[in-house]
Amino acid sequence: MTNSWRLIDGEPQPPAMHMALDEVLTRRVGAGERPPTLRFWRWAAPAVVLGRFQSVRNEVDEEAAREHGIQVVRRMTGGGAMFVETENAVTYSIYAPPELVAGISSVDSYAFLDEWVVEALRSLGIDAWYEPINDITSSEGKIGGAAQARRSGAVLHHVTMSYEMNAAKMLEVLRIGQEKVSDKAIQSVEKRVGPLRRQTQLTREEIIQCMISTFAERNTKSGLIEDRISPEELAEAEELARTKYGTREWIYTLP
Amino acid sequence: MHGEYKTPGEKLVMADLDVREGRLKDVEVSGDFFLEPPEALSGITGALENAPADLAEEDLAERIRGAVGSDVEMIGFSAESVARAVRRALT
Repeated sequence: MTNSWRLIDGEPQPPAMHMALDEVLTRRVGAGERPPTLRFWRWAAPAVVLGRFQSVRNEVDEEAAREHGIQVVRRMTGGGAMFVETENAVTYSIYAPPELVAGISSVDSYAFLDEWVVEALRSLGIDAWYEPINDITSSEGKIGGAAQARRSGAVLHHVTMSYEMNAAKMLEVLRIGQEKVSDKAIQSVEKRVGPLRRQTQLTREEIIQCMISTFAERNTKSGLIEDRISPEELAEAEELARTKYGTREWIYTLP
Repeated sequence: MHGEYKTPGEKLVMADLDVREGRLKDVEVSGDFFLEPPEALSGITGALENAPADLAEEDLAERIRGAVGSDVEMIGFSAESVARAVRRALT
């Protein structure tokens, strides 16, 4: 990989802003206005993040989401719904020039772009591996999922991993296999998912720091360069959150 | 009407639709699949809209294949899996 990688580990943002920032930063990297970048997300509010091609009613119990104060947003990439609360997920995005994955098939590029994560998790003692197409999993259960888009001359690859899980709340909000929220359903989800805290006893920050240093060792010559979202990027994203990602029209693209 | 199909190791495809006068109407295809470019989804649903409701799975798949150009990349699903989800919605 190139040796000019930037790191953004910024302020918490509302869900629609994260969606918008992904589009803006992908476009900036594609236009050569920003070097390849790794961004860790901080969540300002809980959310259900739908994949680009999921229907709201098939995936979310909107009434339950409202009751819990959970926003429903739709991202620009495909893949499955994620339920995130502010402190229970580790989410990151990679914005890279297409040369990074040149000659690699779409399916193979998922595993390729997350090799460093599997390495970081293994260094923390987790028996982790990549499960094609887009899952990071382990002997203790699924950890997270990736989604990708090749757009505006760049590759966007983002991942949400479970740090902690409230299975009961998740089953209330997400329609997973139409299961009723029973003790049995909760136990079944708890068995299938292996959140990072349960597997490491580490804080979220410790895990993110390990990921950052693994990425730097593997993919850069002299470390990740600490960076921030520029005022122009922020303004562009705020505009896009207002005119696109925060609108009913976008969120209900597939009702 | 609602149907779902997931090829093992791939992504879940859902089809929601109505049938009026023997034809598919208000077809919506959704799921946790990947599609580039994303706008190609309207080509897939467009190929199904107004199709005779008694079309066999292979014929539905053929319609979808005819509607997606060679520049479209379907990742984690296929014309066949969409056709099967539609057939399941109909039965």
